[in-house]
Parts: sequence; structure tokens; C-alpha cells
Amino acid sequence: MSALPQSTLKQPKNLSPRIQWLRDYYFKGTERTWNNEFTCFTTGTPWDAQYNEMTFYIVPETYTLMQTMYQSFRIAAHTVAIPDGFFTWSIPERRAWFNKEVMVHYLPHEILPGDLIAGARFNTQTSMCLSKSEMKKRTKRVMGKNGARKKMKWFHDHGFGNSGATSGHIIPDYAHILHHGFKTVYKEIETIYQQLSPKEKKGQKGNTLRAMMTAATMPRDVALAYAQTCQSLAHEQSNPSRKEELLQMASNLAIVPWEAATTFWEAVQSLWITHMLVMSDENYPGPGVSFGRIDQYLYPYWQYSLARGMDREFGKEILKCFFIHCNTAYDAMIRTGNNGITAGYGQLITLAGVGKDMHDMANDLTFALLEVIDEMSPILEPKPNIRLHTNSPDALLDKVVDMVASCQGAPFLLNFDERSMAGMIREAKKAGIQHLINEDNVFDYAPVGCLENTMVGNDRSGTVDNNLNLAKAVELALNNGRDFFPVIDPITGKVEKVKQVGPKTGNPKTFKTFEDFYKAYELQTRFIIKKITELYEESESIRAVFHPTPYLSCLVKGCAQKGMDITQGGAEISFTTLEAVTYATTVDSLLAIKHLVYDHKVCTMDELINALKNNWDGFEVLQTMAKNRTPKYGRDDDYADAMGLRVMQLWTDESWNYKTKSTARQFRPGMLSWNYWVGSGYILPATPDGRKKGQFLSNAICPVNGADINGPTANANSVGKVLGGKDHPGEFMDYVNLLPNGASHTITFNPSILKDPEHREKFKAFLRGYAVNGGSALQINMLDPAMLKDAQKHPQDYRHLLVRVTGYNAYFTSIGKELQDEVIARVSHNKF
Amino acid sequence: MTAITGIVLEIQRMSTEDGPGIRTTVFMKGCPLKCVWCHNPESIRLKQQVQWIGSRCIGCKLCVTTCPNGALSFDNGIIIDRTRCKGCGTCTEVCPSTAMELLGKRWEVNSLVHELLKDKAYFLTSGGGITISGGESTLQTKFVQQVLIQLKHHGIHTAIDTCGICNQHALDMLLPYVDCVLYDLKEMDPQKHIVFTGKSNDGILKNVRFIIEYMNNHLYPREVWIRTPLIPGKTAYDENIVAIAHYINLLHSKAITRWDLCAFNNLCKDKYTRLGISWELENAPLLTKEELMHFEAIARENVYNPALVKTSGSTRIEGDEVLVAKPKKMSGC
Repeated sequence: MSALPQSTLKQPKNLSPRIQWLRDYYFKGTERTWNNEFTCFTTGTPWDAQYNEMTFYIVPETYTLMQTMYQSFRIAAHTVAIPDGFFTWSIPERRAWFNKEVMVHYLPHEILPGDLIAGARFNTQTSMCLSKSEMKKRTKRVMGKNGARKKMKWFHDHGFGNSGATSGHIIPDYAHILHHGFKTVYKEIETIYQQLSPKEKKGQKGNTLRAMMTAATMPRDVALAYAQTCQSLAHEQSNPSRKEELLQMASNLAIVPWEAATTFWEAVQSLWITHMLVMSDENYPGPGVSFGRIDQYLYPYWQYSLARGMDREFGKEILKCFFIHCNTAYDAMIRTGNNGITAGYGQLITLAGVGKDMHDMANDLTFALLEVIDEMSPILEPKPNIRLHTNSPDALLDKVVDMVASCQGAPFLLNFDERSMAGMIREAKKAGIQHLINEDNVFDYAPVGCLENTMVGNDRSGTVDNNLNLAKAVELALNNGRDFFPVIDPITGKVEKVKQVGPKTGNPKTFKTFEDFYKAYELQTRFIIKKITELYEESESIRAVFHPTPYLSCLVKGCAQKGMDITQGGAEISFTTLEAVTYATTVDSLLAIKHLVYDHKVCTMDELINALKNNWDGFEVLQTMAKNRTPKYGRDDDYADAMGLRVMQLWTDESWNYKTKSTARQFRPGMLSWNYWVGSGYILPATPDGRKKGQFLSNAICPVNGADINGPTANANSVGKVLGGKDHPGEFMDYVNLLPNGASHTITFNPSILKDPEHREKFKAFLRGYAVNGGSALQINMLDPAMLKDAQKHPQDYRHLLVRVTGYNAYFTSIGKELQDEVIARVSHNKF
Repeated sequence: MTAITGIVLEIQRMSTEDGPGIRTTVFMKGCPLKCVWCHNPESIRLKQQVQWIGSRCIGCKLCVTTCPNGALSFDNGIIIDRTRCKGCGTCTEVCPSTAMELLGKRWEVNSLVHELLKDKAYFLTSGGGITISGGESTLQTKFVQQVLIQLKHHGIHTAIDTCGICNQHALDMLLPYVDCVLYDLKEMDPQKHIVFTGKSNDGILKNVRFIIEYMNNHLYPREVWIRTPLIPGKTAYDENIVAIAHYINLLHSKAITRWDLCAFNNLCKDKYTRLGISWELENAPLLTKEELMHFEAIARENVYNPALVKTSGSTRIEGDEVLVAKPKKMSGC
């Protein structure tokens, strides 16, 4: 029995029969006769393989399945006839040719009934295109005794976190394609190629640029293949209006994306083909391949077509088709289950935000897109991120609040411009790239994936590639650089002896003051950061040699100019991000140690360590004190938040000290956490803040679950303070943001905050205040515990129930029980 | 400066129920009334009190062994002998879980003001500010005056929420620093007022006239919100609402910008249990939505400006599960 009437579940509305059918069809899932699941292709050599496990090293759920996937894709692969001399070409040229061949000649080019946008199948697992000896080398470096996989597993099993060179997570230069077409891109690359010396042409630069030229023609040929499908469907079509649509689509596809777009329909068509082929090129369906400021670069086309008679609703209809296409990314493993891989796609669109003069840029297309989201919801892709700031217009905030009010688990994120831009400016200074990011262009930043701020069209910042448990440094400091417990291999059950893994920072029982302890913690923090940068080097350097993405390289400024694939650091802005996990757990643990052992002498260090080694069993009073009587981050308590800032400065400063060796990518700090705060909770031992092993760690920049007892403003103020605060003359608009990537912050509100117009105004004011005092990104949760509990019992009744977990959203019924319980706990906590 | 201190029960951030905009509400301790429906019985006594919150307790009994007055015992829960407890708070200091809680914290003016300024950004974006509530906001007059002066010095919008029982000297001290007064008119029948609250409404009616006159002379940007608690079987009857409406008509002032009808709230039930007090209204039901709408209609029909009337609070949910909002500290009404 559901506790609330069904009507509280958001329902789609104002859908035409066309869109209703497409949407319903999409949600039929496995019952569909058509889908976009992975299709696998091989060169036919016995050593060939498709699955690049390294791109999933940051997804621990895949670890036990790596070998299975590796093998099953191989077995399922169709053979593509390769030309003579194929293996004498360079790897990027082979990949460019192979992917183009698959997309143009092997994958079918289908149009769904009524669809206005072409480009249906794109989920592929294509051959690595390696020769036998190359594959042997790669296999050794990935799977060998001392290989990347083993090191990654060690790092994960010991509770440090995870790291891997990951695909996606970028905003390609889509606007360039819309405005100029691939023809221009092709010419640009060709010009650069022609200027190479004969020697360079034979070398890596030449190889890369030739591969990119091949790749740049792929979208043209794919579009032409779809144009043919449209032609023949039109020929068979008896309904005159559909016939006309198909003919128009054929005509669009004959132009874009090779040529510049003119009409809105052409522009969206161009965008979609261009975008979907990125996912094909990387064999990576979706995560973080984001659109950037779609309401800005599509706007001229929107205006053009509206002025020439396009019905506004038809424009929205085109966008709705585009939305359905984005969702088909989820088909990748539709029959085998997503195994954690496909749960958080995040093809992000960015809406509104300031322009150069700090005025808001929301326009009619922004609102049309918001209407589309509202009318299509609940649906997951593309994920909207709305940029707010202190001067966001009322009309935009009204719409945001309406959507928060009407969507349970409203499917969007809010980004805050002032704080975000301050972070980007800081990153430019730190990395010495003020010519690429400065006050004249920083307003054009956009988030990828969820909230990870990057520049657009020239920036790969590896925003999910390194996930580090800061709390590991506390554990090491408490045990003189050793793990608390021996690691037991989860598969073999083999017990590994506890070894000295970190530096010897001294027996903590001998520390006289908290500063002595902090010194040890500081050294261990520097150690774990060094450790993760070394681990990243493994997969990063292998990818740079064996996994080029020449098509994506065509869409990112810098690659053609340097003659360097994006995987080798070709992008003009080439960072990799260190995403800290367990931040608040770490801060609260340090506060607890200071309070319990040094300031109030509630216990000795010996007793505390003993309690932690016993997982607090037998030490319940001390544990309860640690949980309830020690200062906590997240309450706007200046004392506790000062510790938060100290921890933040330490680890962020340290991260700027590293670059990848193979690709010269600068590490930069951020806080995403994704869902690691759940999984790592089972690995990391009990922590001094009173947490037992197995309980969740803190999520991104959020306070420890339940610690934020002073309400949303206090929570937000703490976040703003530890990011560096405001009122710093000389900084960008007086803001400091130590995390250029941004930080995921979630606040759960009771729905009563939106109960009437008066309260909605107050909520809008909260959002404006957040732009002053808060962080760079915020998710609003508005959930009912009763509804969620019922959804656990009756998942079949809640197929469409969306929830937000960190920066990614998911269908509630598709996430694990622990996460479900976690979501419920958060909501219930509202009653604290 | 010599440190003037006050006893504050609680500070609530991001309050949306205590005046315009987003506010931080300071619940002062101590109230001259004893309303039978009081939602904050822990605010009535000026002195600090101890309470035990069972759901937090881990049963370690540290409080029992530490109490210097032998006021605590354990019998399937902590039992507080109120005749022995002096409210010293020793137990609350040793309690590892905050199950033993000291109601009332002594604040100095400066540190309280520092705390209250933390949400200034939100006050500015929302037109909000600080509300001094209670208990009774005017009782610790000197302390509250100093707090208000400092807040005005920082340009913060201020409000006091008062039951109206105070001497005019207190109002003289506070009104110059108050932008908005939330004023309770609970019951017009003086006899019933005594039964319900322990005091006659004479002083209350006198003070409201005084405040309105003050506001009339110092209008912009000052305002008064009248608040009436709708208590089933007590204040919630037609004649009372009509009488209050007529009284507001007599007051008739530009300064009156709102008349809130606050629906009875039973979320305080366990507060009474914790304080060892039995509560007459323990089993009283919430108003139904229809009842609330009925009183709203009567109020609108009888008051000179129907637009003044607003309603707030939860009504009964028909159905199998009641999803309640976070218990809100309501003002003294």
C-alpha cells in the first residue's frame, strides 16, 4: 500500500502522439525489438580484443566481471574485413579506419517510427586494432604480474580509492561543428598536416593527423547512410506529412554535420550525429560526454527557424526526439544488466548562467528546454545543470522551483557561477594557463558529467579519473604508516600480511600534542596523493600508446594543432582531476582525535586506537561521545570549519605538485565522490568520528550524514568556508574556490519548504544566498521516506522514481539496497 | 563592556515561519503565560532545566552516577526527580549521547550577535532577518534590547514575537529597534483567557494598542503581524475569531499587515512527557482542512481587510499514514 497517492509521482505531460510513442517504446526496455546494445567487432585476428578494462577502473563493481566482459565481447564480435597492410598502419590510423568502417558499413542505419532525428545505433565495442606483438605488450602492461590491473586492485583493496584513465567526461567543440561543419575541421587538419616536414609526416604527428582526417569524414558518411534510409522510408511512406518529414530529414543529413547548419532542425541533427559518434569512438556510452551551453550555441538556429515560421512546439518536438536518443545510451548492456557501469551516464546540458558582462544569458531556448525537461520527466538523459548566480532572473528561478516542487528527486543540478568561475581562474593561475582561462572567457565554462567544471571544446580534465579516500591518511597516521588490518583478497580469501605501506610517521601513542598527530597525518596525506598519481600513470601511459581516439581528437582544440591525440594530452587544457572522497569523515575524525585525546583527555591515544581496532565494540560510550560530543564540520561552527579548511588546503595544495609523466597532464583538485563513500565504507576500518566499519563514509563535500543539525543555511555556509570563503579582495569577485573542478553538495529539503508561493519565494532567496555563501554545485533532494520505503517493497510500482545520489541520478529501483537505505536515512534525517 | 547575558532555549536557522523572509529565530527562555496548548513547554520556566531524550540514550548511566544531587535514577529509562534536580547540567556534560539535555544556554550579547549574523547573506536575498521569540521575547528585556541594538547596527531586519504580557517600559526599550512585531491575540473573552493561559487579556489588549500607536507614529518600515492560535475546543470557535476580527478593526492601522491563523500542532506531545508534565491536549486532534478553511473564511468576512488573513500549520491527513513536517518551534502562541 503506497503511503502517498500515486499522483505525487511526476508524470510526463503535453506529449504528442509521436513523442508519447517513442517514450513509451523506450521504457519497454528489453521488450523492444530494436535496441542500441553493444555490438562488437573484430579484425578477426585470434589475439584481438575490444573491452578496455582501464576505463572502468574507477568502477569497482566491474572488477569481478572484467575477465567475463573481456571474453564475452570477444566471442560476440563480428569480423570486419580489413584491408591489406592494415597492421602496417599506425594504431590511430587503424582505429580511425576501423571505427569508420563499422559505423558506415556494418551497423544498420535505422529510423524509429516518427523520429525526427537520425542516429540510432552507436553503442559499439570495436577492435583495439593491435598487432600481435602490440597486444602482447599491452596485455603484459595491463594484466601482467606487475601490471596496471594488479596495482589498481591493490590500491582499491587497501582502501586508498581508485584510479584509471577514463573515457568521456568532456565537452567537445560541438559549436564549431554546428557553425562550420566537419568539412572545415577536415580542412584545418589537412592544412596542419601539409605543413609538416616529410619526416614529421612519417612520425607520430603525421600518423595522428592522418587518422584524424579519416575520422573527420566518418560523420559525413554516417549521415549520408541515414539520408538514404530516410529517402527509402519516404518512398514507402503513404502518410504525406510523415513523408515530408522524412524527406526533410534526408535533406538535413545531406548537409550536416559535414557542412555548417542553418536551421534549428539541421543544428540538432548535426549535434546528435557528432555527439553519438564520440561514444562510438571511445566505445564508451555516455558518461560525461556533455553538451555544454546548449541553450547558447543552439540559440541562433532557434531564432533563425522561429523567424522563418517554425512552430515553437515543433522545435520542442525536435528537442524531445533528441532527448530520447540520449537515453538510448543506456541500452549498452540492456540484456545483461548494467553492473554498475551504465547507472550514471550524465550527458550533461548546461542551461543559463552569466555572460561576459555578468548578466544572465537565459533565453527563450533555455525556457523551451526547461519545458521539454518538465514535459518529458521523469527521464534520465540528458541531465540538466542549471547555472545560477546572485543575479539569476526571477523567471528562471521560478521555473527551477516549479520543477523542484513537481519532480520527486528533481533530475537536475544547480551550478553556481561566482564560486565556480573563481575556481577556474584559480586553476588558470596555478597551471600558468591564463591565456586559456581568464576573465574574458571564464563565463563560458560548463560542467561535465554532473558538476565537474571545465572549459568547453578544448579541455579534458579527467574529472572522474582519480578518487582518493582522504580518511586513509588518518588510518595510516594512527598506525605509523601501516594498514590497521591485513587485507583479505575478496576472491581467493588469501590473507595479506600487514606491511609498511606509508612513511613511518611515528608511534601515535608517543605524540604529545595534536600538532604532533597532525604532522603525521600531513605526511600520510602527501604520501597517498603521491601514490594515486603513480597509479594513474599506469593506465594513462598505456592508454596513450594503445587507445587513441582520433575522432574525439577532431573535436577538441589543441589536438590538431599539436598533432597529438587527446589521449596523449593533445587538448589545449589537459588536466586530470583528483577527486577527494571521505572529506567530512576525515575532518570529523581529526576533530574527534583533538577533542577526545588532547583537548578534553576523554581517552588516551592508546584507548582510541584500541577502540578503532575493535570496531568500537566494547567501547560504546567512547564511540557515542565521538559521534555526539565532538565538533563536526557542516554546522557553521567556525572552530570545526577551520579544521575543514586546513584539511582542504593541505590536500589541494599537494595535488598541484603533480603532473602525469607520459602525457604532462596537471593534477587538479575536486570533490565528486560519485558512490565510493558507500563502497569504501566496507573497506576502511572504523574511524575516530565514531563511524564503524561498513557504515558509509561522507559524500563529496557534504557533512557526515546527520551531522548538519543546524539546517540548510549552516550546512551551505560550512561548505563555502572550507572552499576558501568569500570577502577576499583581489580574488575573482572576492571568492576563493580551492576546488576548480567543483564539489558535489546535496541538501535534502522537506517538501514543506515549497508548500505555497510565500515559501517558494523564500526558497528562491535561499538559492540566491547559496550563490553568495555556498559551494559551486548543489543538488536539491525533496524526497519522502514513506514513498521510498514503499518503493523498496514494490519496485514494480516505482519504475520511474528518480533519486539523486551524489552527482548522478538513477532510477531508485535500479540501485542497491544499501544505497536505497542511505537515501531513506537522509530523508528521515530531516526530522532530526 | 559588562557582559549582559541571557538564557536562550534554542536558535533556529533558516526559519520560514517567524516573519518575513528567511530568518534566524532566537527562542528565549521564560514566559509569563501558561497556555494549556503551549507548544514549547520547555520554554516556560526561565531557569535552565534538564530533560532526557530516550531515543538517544545508550543506557550507560553515567548521568546517574555523576549527578551531585542524587536526582537521577534508572528504571527502564532515566527518571528525573524534579524536586531534587537543580538544573545544574552536570549530567548533560558527562552524557556521551546528548540524551541528557540542558534546556537553556546562557549567551553573552556579542557572541549571540556573532552567531545570528552568520546567515546575513540569506537575510539580504530574502528580506528576512532575526526574530526574537520564546518563551516571551520581552521578558529578558535588557539582554534582548542589547541584541536588537547590535543587530540594527549591522543593518539586520528584526522582529519580536510576543504574547503581549509585559510592562510598557519593556516596550519602550525594545520598539525602537524592532521592524516587525508578531503579536498574539489568542482569546477575546477575558475569563476564558484566564482559564486558557493563566492571565487575563487586559494587559495584552492595552499593549497592542500601545504598540499600534507607536507604529502609527513610526510607521515605515515597521509592521505588526497579529497571530491567533486555533486550538480545538479552546480558541477555535466562531465567536472568538469574530471578536478578534472586530478588535483588529478597532485597531485599524496601516501597520497591521497580516493576521495569521495558526492551526493547532500536536508535535510537542513528547516534550511534555520528557518534562514529566501531563498535557490536557495530548489526544486532541489536529484541525481538519475544512475547519481551518472555515475559520479563515470567518476571519476574512469580519476583518476590515480580508487580505490580511493567512493560515499556517498542519491539518489532519485523512488516510493511513501521516507524514509530518519537521516539528517547528512555534512561538509562544
